[in-house]
Amino acid sequence: MFFLKKVKKKVKKQQEQNQKQQNQNQQQQGFLSNNLDQNLQELQNIYQNCMDVVFRQFQIGGKTKAALIYIDGLANIEETDASVLAPLMKESDVRVNGEQQSIDMGIDVNHILEQKLTVSKIKKVRTITECIEYISGGSPVLLIDKQIEGFALGLSKWEKRSIEEPVGESVIRGPREGFTESLGTNLALLRRKMRSPQLKMKSMKIGEYTQTEVVISYIEGIAEQTLLQEVETRLNRIKVDGILETSYIEEYIEDNPYSPFPQVLNTERPDVVVASLLEGRVAILQDGTPFALIVPVSFYSLLQSTEDYYQRSLISTVTRWLRYLFLLISLLLPSLYVAILTFHQEMIPTTLLVTIAASRELVPFPALVEALIMEIVFEALREAGVRLPKQAGAAVSIVGALVIGQAAVQAGIVSAPLIMVVSLTGIASFTIPRYTAGIALRMLRFPMILLAGTLGLLGIMLGLLMILTHMAALRSFGVPYLSPLAPMQGREMKDVLVRAPWWKLNTRPSLTDNIQRQGPNQKPNPDYGNDKTSKGKGGSL
Amino acid sequence: MGILQKAAKILFVCVHLMLLSGCWDRTEVNDLALIVGLGIDQKKDGKIMLTVQLVVPKSIGGGGQMGGGGGGGGETIVRSGTGATVADAISNLQEKLSRRVFWGHTKVVVFGERAAKAGIRQHLDFLSRNPQTRLRSNVLVSKGTAKSVLELLPPIEQSSAEVMRELSESQLLLRVTIKDALQMLSGDAGAAALPMVKILPPEKGKKELQTIAFIQRTAIFKKDKMIGDIDDKLTRGVLWLRNEIKLANITVRLKGEKGNITSTLIRAHTEFIPKYGKGKWKMIVKATAEDDILLNGTKLDLLNPKHTKMIEKELENETDKRIRAALKKVQKELKADIFGFAEIFHRKYPREWNRVKNRWEEIFPTVEVVVKTKVYVRRPGMNTAPQGLPEQEVKQ
Repeated sequence: MFFLKKVKKKVKKQQEQNQKQQNQNQQQQGFLSNNLDQNLQELQNIYQNCMDVVFRQFQIGGKTKAALIYIDGLANIEETDASVLAPLMKESDVRVNGEQQSIDMGIDVNHILEQKLTVSKIKKVRTITECIEYISGGSPVLLIDKQIEGFALGLSKWEKRSIEEPVGESVIRGPREGFTESLGTNLALLRRKMRSPQLKMKSMKIGEYTQTEVVISYIEGIAEQTLLQEVETRLNRIKVDGILETSYIEEYIEDNPYSPFPQVLNTERPDVVVASLLEGRVAILQDGTPFALIVPVSFYSLLQSTEDYYQRSLISTVTRWLRYLFLLISLLLPSLYVAILTFHQEMIPTTLLVTIAASRELVPFPALVEALIMEIVFEALREAGVRLPKQAGAAVSIVGALVIGQAAVQAGIVSAPLIMVVSLTGIASFTIPRYTAGIALRMLRFPMILLAGTLGLLGIMLGLLMILTHMAALRSFGVPYLSPLAPMQGREMKDVLVRAPWWKLNTRPSLTDNIQRQGPNQKPNPDYGNDKTSKGKGGSL
Repeated sequence: MGILQKAAKILFVCVHLMLLSGCWDRTEVNDLALIVGLGIDQKKDGKIMLTVQLVVPKSIGGGGQMGGGGGGGGETIVRSGTGATVADAISNLQEKLSRRVFWGHTKVVVFGERAAKAGIRQHLDFLSRNPQTRLRSNVLVSKGTAKSVLELLPPIEQSSAEVMRELSESQLLLRVTIKDALQMLSGDAGAAALPMVKILPPEKGKKELQTIAFIQRTAIFKKDKMIGDIDDKLTRGVLWLRNEIKLANITVRLKGEKGNITSTLIRAHTEFIPKYGKGKWKMIVKATAEDDILLNGTKLDLLNPKHTKMIEKELENETDKRIRAALKKVQKELKADIFGFAEIFHRKYPREWNRVKNRWEEIFPTVEVVVKTKVYVRRPGMNTAPQGLPEQEVKQ
């Protein structure tokens, strides 16, 4: 008997436990119950060992139990105190839905929402998961006894950086604001620049644990629907524990992940994003980083600086050509130096050759080794300069200048002309406005030097052909990387070979069917007011 | 197979392919003997003596100052080698050089007088056959041996080869490159003209070698052998006849006027009109020149067109005289067709020319040459009236 009883008890206990667990499971997936204690218990279980989560229990009007759950540091405590706790706790006029007061029915929620809570942004939450989402997102959640709904209060506030000038893309003329780590601020910056409701922002979450908010931004009517779908498909594919920077996304959505060339543009500047959107591109923004991604891009857009469009067109055109020239220098100069000095000594003027030979007289290494050493030293110096704190950075540059500049030559380890070549190459690579594009070319320099050292100019041509073939085959979201030069799009030359004046840049790139971007006859006409000439001229968009 | 493995395999193959070639023609600059000047002499026993002028890249020195002057250029040294042919002499020369000879920067090729008289074809053949030498190198003949010219240490330029190059490029007198020389020799005329250098006597107090060789004469070649030479005045006449004249100052005196007038050439063009009839060959040479006045020692006002007409007339006469003098010496005495008349006749009268091409040497001296000169004085310079003269005395 006793034994049986024991078994029975055990079974009962098990059943009870099972039921409890089931209940719990149900609650976790399911809806809030109307029992405040149960809900709180639930949340406390979930937020176990999370000392930053605060559960504040109080009574509305001294009668109804309620609780406020928030994360310390993410919620605006002063505001919450003033506009939630104060009015509710001082509440005396707690009426029930009808006239009659009844404990079971609870209090009049609408009354509280409409007259007591001085908070503009309130969302109703019905499930535990929703609760967690809002709490983790920074919004305090208000739970009231006898209610099956909670209220997420838009009172989040945390420490964030103010809007500053982007360091990586500074301009002489142009807006000086850059994105910050806060997605909300970034979206606001975009909206400030483009007020049309056609500017769309689609939100999604990526990262199983980080639950990072990612926003796809585009202009409806300009961005192609197929492109948008492609972006969404590629983003939806990403299944990862967390993303901390848009570079994570970039690597998941690239067309050719092994190419040295970036196929996605990243920028800190809202004006760049807006300009790209106007060209029919799509931007991807992510919470927690000031860098937005822009797709698709072509090689030439990586060589264009924001400022090209802010300076007058003639000057921008000259700057562009200067940049194209220095692009070649940054890729080829060291390898040309090596090739000519080891294979084609007849190709440079005698006086120059004699000068170089004289300076190389005591150098123990072949030109190839010498060039490799110096290029690697330069890359190391650059890297050290980037990583070090500012105070130490100055020291590095002094040491670098002295060590690779003078001392190395005096010590007879390298020759002076090579220092010239290396520093010119360094300067040249910094003329490329996009860091990612510049670094790609800088890295390609090394195989080029090796080719030049073994096969001479022939090797350089081979290397160039390989790079060119690769680039011609590359796509960025289906758009050829070398477009509009290959395949040739005559219409777009005016924004590649030159930077035509704005009134001539009347069409968008062929990413979109919505091609026209300005009205006819936008060329400034000083005689506009004059009756004779203004006839039939001048247009409106 | 993953793309990474594939890439790694391709890279592996590429790297090894590159190593297989072994950089077979890779040379460091510092293993090269940079030759800037080449001299070819013939010894009495018929052997060829090759003299090269090479640059010694002067090291700036480890630990020394590198800032300042930079480079320092380098001095030149001269080495010689002998052999049956030029190529032979090179191997002899190479024995005496620690660095490999490199011809890519050879600027001048100098033939000694004796070598020039013995024939230069085989030497030119070597120079055009060697992949390193440049057909644009200037060719000269030296009075005396080529070695004596290359040995000089010029006070201004870095090397005597550089001096000769600069002088050739100035085109004051003849300028001939290897390519030109080969073309002249293989042409119908079978004659060639090369500039000839002579050593300028050093200034007082200077050492014997501290001087330069300058282009002063022109060596005349028939086939590939030098048969004579003409001086600078006659050379200018020859330049007119070769349509190569670039610089010329002509000084004339006007009848009934005291003082000289010097004009300088701005543009010149010579036109050749060949004529053939009844077994007679005739060449009309039309030389046209445009001049500016450089100096006016007379009392004439140059704005008066009458005066300029007079000057033009006088200049024409002077030019005509120069051309005729050159013709007389080259055509009648040396009998070498360095003007290239043969080609001109060949083009115009191919059939007739073919009949006489084997006898051209005999026919050339008998060709009747008519010289027509036309000179235009374009500008009087910065002044019109003669300067430093009271206005009353100027002849309007």
